[in-house]
Amino acid sequence: MINSDLKQTILGALKLEDWDLKDETTAAEVPGWDSLHHVNVILAVEKQFGVKFKNLEVLKLKSVGDLQRLLDSKISSR
Amino acid sequence: MFFDSLVYLLFFPAVWLVYQFVPDRQRWIVLLVASIAFYTALRAPVLLLSWAGVVVVSYYCGRAIARKPEGIERTRLLWFGIVANIGVLCAVKYLHPFLEFIHPAFANNPAFSNLFLTLGVSYYTLQSISYLADIYCEIVEPEQHFGRFALYLGFFPKLLQGPIERAGDLLPQLSLPYHASYENLRRGVLLFAWGLFLKVAVANRLATYVGLVYEDVHAHSGIAFILTTYMYAIQILADFSGYTNMALGVALLFNIRLTQNFNSPYSARSVADFWRRWHISFSRWILDYVFKPLQMGWRNAGVWGTVGALLVTFTFSGLWHGASWNFAVWGLLHGVFLAASVLFKPGLDRAFGTIGLRDHPIRRVVQVVVTFNLVAFAWIFFRANSLSDAGYIVTHLFSGVSDYVILDQGDVKFASLVLALCVMFGVNFLRTRVRLSRQPLLVRWSLYYLLILAIAHLGIYNGVGFVYLQF
Repeated sequence: MINSDLKQTILGALKLEDWDLKDETTAAEVPGWDSLHHVNVILAVEKQFGVKFKNLEVLKLKSVGDLQRLLDSKISSR
Repeated sequence: MFFDSLVYLLFFPAVWLVYQFVPDRQRWIVLLVASIAFYTALRAPVLLLSWAGVVVVSYYCGRAIARKPEGIERTRLLWFGIVANIGVLCAVKYLHPFLEFIHPAFANNPAFSNLFLTLGVSYYTLQSISYLADIYCEIVEPEQHFGRFALYLGFFPKLLQGPIERAGDLLPQLSLPYHASYENLRRGVLLFAWGLFLKVAVANRLATYVGLVYEDVHAHSGIAFILTTYMYAIQILADFSGYTNMALGVALLFNIRLTQNFNSPYSARSVADFWRRWHISFSRWILDYVFKPLQMGWRNAGVWGTVGALLVTFTFSGLWHGASWNFAVWGLLHGVFLAASVLFKPGLDRAFGTIGLRDHPIRRVVQVVVTFNLVAFAWIFFRANSLSDAGYIVTHLFSGVSDYVILDQGDVKFASLVLALCVMFGVNFLRTRVRLSRQPLLVRWSLYYLLILAIAHLGIYNGVGFVYLQF
């Protein structure tokens, strides 16, 4: 289940009105979510939630669900 | 034993025949032995040793990474594996320049020239690094079977010039049971033959003309440089895609599908698009393992972080191709083209969008023409023997009409070149529109015989090596 704040943050970074972001959704399935815009998504999430991701943590992400779980672990370890 | 040699034409059918009669569980041994024999035929002990070293280190490193929980030790193991592979790559590539520095007589003795061959190292070391990184990122599990892992790195159709295969694509195929397939046999042989045609009839012919100019730049000017630059753009495509077709074709005989390396690269609408269509396995490698980590690491610098990552990535790409300034400049040029695109394309798209011309057919044609010319311009640095030669060509591109006239060069007839190019473009045009397998038997077999005739009569067999073999 993707948190609605995270969903809005991602959609805002990609300048998308709406898109069904599910746990198993990958970047390739979302319009405009290419390697150039992926950085914008990560920056937006870090800024919105006040967290900092390590490079290797981000490079391992395979789906929106992975991003959600990484974000949750950062928030809970604060 | 290079792909366009008679020995290879006898070698791979022999391997295929043996493959048919061996029990399924031992088939990997046939391919591994064939691959080792193929590499041994180069008579380069340094290469065999470095390949064996990479196989052993990467096999054990991959298993060790997978066993470790998340943490600093797991990361250290990954870095160890990466450094070991890069170490082998640099050691093999720089052995000759190093020995030339400390003992020139030995280094330049033709009797020892086989010690300094670097064939294949650039490809399987990158493939090995991608294997370790993918294990680290939990994209794949490590291969437990040592023999299959060695085969994954050394499979003879792709050993010398790639494609650089991802573990997730190739490893599972090496474990599948084999069922002889007439369709794969037919397509594999056809692919191989088509690749051979591209290499011997198109690339080798063009190389004769390009070589005339690029080996003696000061004797030429103006139109000669422009013509041979465009010729080289076609030569290198025919050469490398020809090789790739031969590699994919032979692999298909064993029901193994290697990665497509080319997808009409000169119909790209931007340099970024070009790199999604040219040497695809390599550009995906530098995207995933160089560009993305750099870009992510520099994300706080915004678009300038992306620009910096592009410049570094493509300079690395240039240097991977060759440790000389002209290759570095070639790579850097592409980095600059891509950086400019990142900085200016969004604005340009918006401007054209407001006047409703963003996807206009004329704009698309202009984009294709501009992209092709940018890429062809950069190829000057790739082909030139030195930076000063490249500089001379670039500063004399429009110096007028010289006395260079395309004549028949001995046995190399210009009319045959035109015919070969017509065949190449004609087939590329028809391939996407006509399904050969659906044509009547008479049509299909007539075309097969015509292809064999074309290879035999239009082919140039003067020992011109494959361009990408030197990397």
